[in-house]
Amino acid sequence: MQVMALIYSDGARWDVLSGEEREVVYDRYRAFAREAQEAGVMVGGNELGPTRDATTVRVRGDETLVTDGPYAAVKEALGGYFLLECETIDEAVDWAARIPGAEHGAVEVRPVYVDPAGAAA
Amino acid sequence: MKYALLIYDDDSAWVDLPDDEKAALRADEMPHWVALFEELGKADPNVSGKELDGRRTAKVVRVRNGERIVTDGPFAETKEILGGVFFTDLPDLDEAIRLAALIPAAKGHGSIEIRPVLQ
Repeated sequence: MQVMALIYSDGARWDVLSGEEREVVYDRYRAFAREAQEAGVMVGGNELGPTRDATTVRVRGDETLVTDGPYAAVKEALGGYFLLECETIDEAVDWAARIPGAEHGAVEVRPVYVDPAGAAA
Repeated sequence: MKYALLIYDDDSAWVDLPDDEKAALRADEMPHWVALFEELGKADPNVSGKELDGRRTAKVVRVRNGERIVTDGPFAETKEILGGVFFTDLPDLDEAIRLAALIPAAKGHGSIEIRPVLQ
């Protein structure tokens, strides 16, 4: 099964880090990615820009409503994700717990939807 | 510029439906999705996307002082949750907004959050 590990963390915490401190965090993420790669679990991943650069789009009736900022004002926002190929949800949870963001933020583990009709075909 | 189009919608009316009713609803919506995929493919032939399973299968993992805390359910306590995402490379934000508005979930009660993807 493919699983998305969504990393939620406090952007304000990241903003105050120095370049050097950020590099330490990136090193830990690279180490995680390498381990997952070597285990054959890593499919991909991305880091998202900060929520202050977010734009939210809604269509209500015939009108497209565009607002600056994220969909919901939350302290801990989605900051990135890894896409993992795991045998079970428990295995995905094990990998999620090793993502550095789990230590101060939270990692949401979500299986990728497989259409039952498509899977049977 | 790379963008993530994050699709937030209320899945509560959807998750508990039997598979055949879900399939019927999907079939109803399919023409809108096909139209979207066409537009997305024209804008970025390398567009990719993932649909996520509903909130019932979500788990949240935290590690505090070396201890793992795992809870059931999605991270956010909002009615709407992240249901899927497109990753796409587009000329500018205006194009991202145009495409986001074509996502069926943008209509009704859902929202699409556009976020730059860092290189």
